[in-house]
Amino acid sequence: MGNRKKNRNVGIVGIGETKFSSHREDVNQPEMIHEAVRQALDDAGLTMDDIDCVVHGNMELFEMVHQPDMWHTLGTGAFGKNAFRLTTGGTTGGTLVAAADNLVASGMYDTVLAIGFEKLQEGHTTGGITNMADPLWARKLQSGALTDSAAVKVIAEFGGDRARRAAMMYRIIMDKHACLNPNSHRAFGLEWDQLEDLMKNSPPLIGDLRLIHMCSQSDGACAMIFSAEEKAKKISKNPVWIRDHITVHREETLNLCNNYYPNETTHRFAAETLYKRNGIENPLEYFDVFEMYDPSAWWGLDWIRDFFLLSGDEHIRLVEEKEIMINGKIPINPSGGVIAANPIGATAMIRVAEAAKQVRGDAGPHQIPRPVKHAMASSFGGTMWTVLFLLEKELNWQGGKHD
Amino acid sequence: MTTAKDNCFTVEGKLALPYQYFAGSTGSRFLISLRDEKKIKGLECKKCKKVFVPPRSTCEVCFEDISQNWVEVKNSGVVTGFTIVRYEEPHQPVKPPYILGLIKLDGADTPITHIIKGVPLTKMKTGLKVQAVFAKNTTATILDIDHFKPMAEKPKMEMGYTYDELEIGMSASFTKTISETDVYLFAGISGDFNPMHLNEEFAKRTPFGTRIAHGALPQSLIAPVLGMKLPGLGTVALEITVRFKAPTYFGDTITAVGEVVEKLEKRRWVRMALRWTNQKDELVAEGTALVMPPVPLPE
Repeated sequence: MGNRKKNRNVGIVGIGETKFSSHREDVNQPEMIHEAVRQALDDAGLTMDDIDCVVHGNMELFEMVHQPDMWHTLGTGAFGKNAFRLTTGGTTGGTLVAAADNLVASGMYDTVLAIGFEKLQEGHTTGGITNMADPLWARKLQSGALTDSAAVKVIAEFGGDRARRAAMMYRIIMDKHACLNPNSHRAFGLEWDQLEDLMKNSPPLIGDLRLIHMCSQSDGACAMIFSAEEKAKKISKNPVWIRDHITVHREETLNLCNNYYPNETTHRFAAETLYKRNGIENPLEYFDVFEMYDPSAWWGLDWIRDFFLLSGDEHIRLVEEKEIMINGKIPINPSGGVIAANPIGATAMIRVAEAAKQVRGDAGPHQIPRPVKHAMASSFGGTMWTVLFLLEKELNWQGGKHD
Repeated sequence: MTTAKDNCFTVEGKLALPYQYFAGSTGSRFLISLRDEKKIKGLECKKCKKVFVPPRSTCEVCFEDISQNWVEVKNSGVVTGFTIVRYEEPHQPVKPPYILGLIKLDGADTPITHIIKGVPLTKMKTGLKVQAVFAKNTTATILDIDHFKPMAEKPKMEMGYTYDELEIGMSASFTKTISETDVYLFAGISGDFNPMHLNEEFAKRTPFGTRIAHGALPQSLIAPVLGMKLPGLGTVALEITVRFKAPTYFGDTITAVGEVVEKLEKRRWVRMALRWTNQKDELVAEGTALVMPPVPLPE
């Protein structure tokens, strides 16, 4: 992995999330961002004067606005401060946290504010995404972000009925979590007895990917404040420590033939590498919560295996036995996950923010009903990109033995 | 290395960039005021006292929420910067060339960008006072202000020299060739059909040997001098005396000259010396005038 050294520990000291919804006509972009920034500052008990650097991010071109960080200064508070803009697709929110972690850990800045946002109702996501495709080989063939590749794969391995049932169970679990989270964009109140009906009757999008499986387009923003250990302890009574993070991507592999799933590799590679260098031997035992970037129920179901380095049908059984529910063995997305709200530039940051809230114990109605000490949060983006975080309640981590 | 371009394709492409933008409640309130009241409103930061137009809900410097501090600003302001747009694009609001200006409205601290019309491109300059012209058909966009135009200057009443501006020695003249038509028209105006002026056979037998103009005709040429030149517009003639020295024949070119010779401080009147000469520099008449120069008009 080359030379890699964390000079000092980095703590999450402030978190702000707007309400997520399909439309935010009441605020423009800087105003919406300001809501999250104000919340994060209040949460940390800080003012803008305490912030040394602002990192801002969203999807490229999704709002058809150029250099949004410049004119968002009204809401971000970046006036006269060092600032960066990052845009790494779906992982943007995760990259923002990774950047803030690096900026503070390096000693460059003591306190960094990171902001992810999106107002997807204002833009034309397919227009933006199409720009990503190779102009010579792919742009004229581009079909947008939807795919049923995960469904094809899971069905091929476990059979149609079991696979479809497990995917819909995953979906209903996420909705039950979403109903607990007051910030959710979509919380339907799905019941278990609707499972059969949804499997048959939810409008199909592509193959076995149905409308109910898929994440939405949302408006919303997330802001987080990071500070170096010494300051973090002064600012916050319960800072959440970023133990480690990793970024893995291999976009070029999109052109490989059908039925090759490089995303499996980036998630698994990220998890394997992260666990190995942190001495985590049994992630399923070690972690108390996992906030996963799950763009659809099919992907969410499939990726559990990659992230926890499971084999066979272990991941399917975790879902079937409802062990990923908020009161299960390994709660996944007590926030409701990406299917509940997807303001893309913020989405991956919300995973980290929600995991951190669980560690603090103040997530609200969707707080896991038992102590949370070790958390994991993932980001996913196009084409095949993983950012993975390990969060800790205490600074005394040593290996990964569950205590 | 070769840079030969044979058999190298260029892929031409075009992508549409459709979008919408949520103005938010702050931006919308500004637009509603424009649309329904034709009023331009801004938001004031209570901390730094800046008034932002267009409005913004946060002061970026003080980082204060200012979204409720609405103030009305004037529809007029001053141009703080401008450019002349000469290239043409399909999405432009008007056809180039046109002036795009930064206008700091009276009562605002930040300038607003808009189109300026009614100024020759070569005469455009910063510092120009302009006022908003509202659109006839509202669209609830910033184009509810159709454009800005130069502030209408109050038409200034032209006026001659006032008493204080007049100096002794200032003079002015008027010259005109007296034709037969002038004489006949003057006969009609005055009712003076003396055959000296109108009957050539009669006139042949007089000492002048031909028809001559009425004396008052060349004399009247002093009127445009006094009333339009010196003192000029607004002058009231109080007294004119004249002594005729030589006749004016048809076709003579008469020059009437007035010169300031005395300023009567007490009444603020002016005495002028008058002279009429012809094309041969012969003295046709001389005299004096007492005039009341124009006084500044009340607003």
